[in-house]
Amino acid sequence: MRVRRAVQRILALLRGSRLDRELNDEILAHLEMAERDAVAAGLSPDEARRQARRRFGPVQAMREAHRDDRSARWIENLVKDVRYAAGSLFRDPTFTVVAVGVLALGIGANAAMFSVVDAVLLKPLPFPDPDRIVRVWEAPRPGATNATSAPDFDDWRRLATSFDAVAAEQWVSAALTGAGEPRRLRGKAVTAEYFTVFGATLRFGRSFTPDDDQPGADPAVVLSYTAWHTYFGGDPDILQRRPFFDGTPHRVLGVLAPGAFGREAAEFWKPLALRPADHPRSFHWLTVHARLREGVTIARARAEMHGIAAALADVTPAYKQDWTIEVAPLDALLVGEGLRQSLVVAFGAVGVVLLIACANVTNLLLARGVARRKEMAIRAALGASRGRLIAQLLTESFVLCLLGGAVGLGLAVLMVDAVNPMIESVPYTAEVSLDLRVLGFVASVALAVAVLIGTLPALQTSVGSLSKSLGESGRGSSAGRARLRRAIVVAEVALSLVLVCGAALLFRSLDNLQRLETGIRIDDVVTLAADLPLEAYPTPERAVAFYDALIPHIESVPGVRRAALSSHLPLQWIGNGEGLQVAGLAEMVNVRFKRVDPGYFAALDIPLVAGRGITEEDRAGGRRVVVINQALAARLAEAAGMTDSIGQTVRLGCPRYATTGVDMADVEIVGIIRSERVSGPGRPDPPVVYVPIGQVPRTDFRLLVRTHLEPAAVVSGIREAVRRVDPNLPLGDIATMQEVRDRTLSAFSRPAWVIGAFAVVAALLTALGLYGVLAHSVSQRRREIGIRMALGARAPDVLKQVLTSAMALVGVGLVLGLAGAFAVRRILGTLLFEVSPLDPGALVLASVVMAAIGLIAALLPAGRAARVQPIAVLREEG
Amino acid sequence: MSTQKSEVPYGTLDLLVLKTLDTMGPLHGYGIARRIEQVSETLRLSQGSIYPALMRLEQQGWIRTEWGVSETNRKVKFYALTRAGTKQLGEAVKQWQNTTALVARFLEAKP
Repeated sequence: MRVRRAVQRILALLRGSRLDRELNDEILAHLEMAERDAVAAGLSPDEARRQARRRFGPVQAMREAHRDDRSARWIENLVKDVRYAAGSLFRDPTFTVVAVGVLALGIGANAAMFSVVDAVLLKPLPFPDPDRIVRVWEAPRPGATNATSAPDFDDWRRLATSFDAVAAEQWVSAALTGAGEPRRLRGKAVTAEYFTVFGATLRFGRSFTPDDDQPGADPAVVLSYTAWHTYFGGDPDILQRRPFFDGTPHRVLGVLAPGAFGREAAEFWKPLALRPADHPRSFHWLTVHARLREGVTIARARAEMHGIAAALADVTPAYKQDWTIEVAPLDALLVGEGLRQSLVVAFGAVGVVLLIACANVTNLLLARGVARRKEMAIRAALGASRGRLIAQLLTESFVLCLLGGAVGLGLAVLMVDAVNPMIESVPYTAEVSLDLRVLGFVASVALAVAVLIGTLPALQTSVGSLSKSLGESGRGSSAGRARLRRAIVVAEVALSLVLVCGAALLFRSLDNLQRLETGIRIDDVVTLAADLPLEAYPTPERAVAFYDALIPHIESVPGVRRAALSSHLPLQWIGNGEGLQVAGLAEMVNVRFKRVDPGYFAALDIPLVAGRGITEEDRAGGRRVVVINQALAARLAEAAGMTDSIGQTVRLGCPRYATTGVDMADVEIVGIIRSERVSGPGRPDPPVVYVPIGQVPRTDFRLLVRTHLEPAAVVSGIREAVRRVDPNLPLGDIATMQEVRDRTLSAFSRPAWVIGAFAVVAALLTALGLYGVLAHSVSQRRREIGIRMALGARAPDVLKQVLTSAMALVGVGLVLGLAGAFAVRRILGTLLFEVSPLDPGALVLASVVMAAIGLIAALLPAGRAARVQPIAVLREEG
Repeated sequence: MSTQKSEVPYGTLDLLVLKTLDTMGPLHGYGIARRIEQVSETLRLSQGSIYPALMRLEQQGWIRTEWGVSETNRKVKFYALTRAGTKQLGEAVKQWQNTTALVARFLEAKP
């Protein structure tokens, strides 16, 4: 019955006026009948009417009771307030548009940022029971991660009981032919339990079974949903087709469900057949993931793996004896510390923008409150309680925030695309979308904002004595209120300065990055990638013959200056690490292994520091040689006392052609080059050996072409030249070196642009706020200014006075803002490259910019003050 | 017994209205008020006060209304007991009897 009554009450609200009418009719009928009965009982008509009235009791009180009872009073009030608020906002469209716009900007930016933070940091990974997915690796020392060797992986799989499934993976690429244009696809070679570890679901078909990753099994792949659509047109009979991967027909076992591994770059997965006995324990090339058994904690799994590491001590090479095995939850590893920091900073910045937006709207409401004091006083005089007035004003700010939130959500849709690239580097996160969680976030932010911006103005406006307000004739603004508005503007200036400082620092850091010494000449270089199919190039000799034929063909293309080959691009991390053994040194030196052809150093202008480069003579059958970088030379000098490494012979692990495994070979160091940058900023140059590609060839390679023409103009010529050497070889990953470089630096440049955009918005909002306060104060003081001008003050004096008071506000704000910048220096410092978070240049620049913005915002109202006509003012105030 | 008229005991108006409708069948507001006054004799009722009570009972679903014509030829609401109202009346009567019995026992209790 309770529910029924509640529903009835709410319905009654909507039918209020009809119910009132019906009640009136009933009362009239009642009185008429009572009167008639009284007349019948012998009373005079007058007497009868009086008696009927008396016996009915107080009509008005009954009506009120009826109304109170039939509907919840507060809802009725709320509806009234909302109607009233909507009406009053509608009557002041300029105010409403500005306030809603400012709030929408703040709320929208926060919603967009939240959706990203939510997807990356808050939402669980898009896998079933994601907290049971862990990564397992060999840890040379606490905190360091290392890939795993095949025998170690095999032992873990055999011995560990903490896991439901354990799988190893490695990046591979393959040429896809027989499905239109030949293409180069990125994929992963994985062991059978891989999809079990991630709990990935299939659209149709099956994933791998333990039979599939046995040596000698039929070649097969699983396709991503996107690859199925892009390369096979979503062919429903794909399971019957045999597409060629690297020239071999492969069975397609299944297609993954859309969204599984959505952000992952892999387009296909193929079984990884391991023959553990073939691989040494010192060859680390596998990434291992596992799914914890139900109820097993990370700590227990870690303890077990530590035990396994100890049990394997007998078979572990000497230099790995003090390594251990680490287990860590996958989600903690996916989002790097750098990305987490920049997300936190960006979210903080956008929060500051919202605060400034709130401050602005609060100020607008306060100014409006002054104009509305009389209205409030009259309503109070008519019997509205103070609580009702406050409720009414708060309702107004709620309506504003509701509108702001709704418009902001629309803005957020546009902004999500702008912030999304920040997290491109995260392979699998939950989807970034404006879902119910974001909606909830926006609703709670709007609510909080409404309370934040509504409370002060509501209290300020409703306080104060009636007679005073009525007597004020809307002219005076109490000193307290003016101080409050000024304090808010000071806070706005301070907050924006913190953001502008942050942006200035980040852009300085970006500028440093642009001038970052890469050690190579990157202009006019275009790069392409290709992968020789093993069927066509089964032996190293065939690959070398291809390389030898390719370069002259490319160099004969018009517009091409030079061409070179390498296994890895410059400015990109060399994942391939090998051991280098030096006589008299017990420990192997871990070096990055990069194959280059004779043209590589010249094409990129990498200077020789000593010895010679790689020449045409350095090929199979010739003397085995390597060139090393300065970092390795320094390392050898320090570790082995090898001050002159030229001419020294060392043992180096060289990966075999086309199969996994490493052969140790004696190689002579013939030259030292100046270090080229191998990775993003902030990482020291690693030791690198440059091995002649003619001596240790490999199937996948990068082609680097220096041109005299615009690189894009030459690409088709290059394609044609490659086709003349091998018509079936697909080329992929076309990019200029400038693009490669930008990609490498993007982790550093993106936060700068995002924070920069927020800083611009914050500064503009602050300018608006300052302008609003000054304009209001000038219009309130017209009379005073008029009198002073009548008494002899000149226009420049007035101008100066307004500007001075404005700059005083800005000045206080700047000081506070600099203190704020000092307070957040540590958070920001992690994102900066070779810039101190207290860099005086950036801080001064930011302060000057902010002061200039303040000055511009103040000029308009100051000009208006200076143009005040004393006569006119004194007359209108009469 | 005092001859002075007494107020409607708190919380009993609903019961009186339901009982009236039970005994008399559908009635308009004036009719209900008159009937309560006649039966109770000594009760001093502000006749208007039955209207909020009628509205409450209707919202609870215990009585329903339909439009009819009054003795003065005016369109007026007639109130009638619903099935739920009959049940509610039974419960309310039982509860009232329990209450009065309890109070009576209490008052008659010997020290």
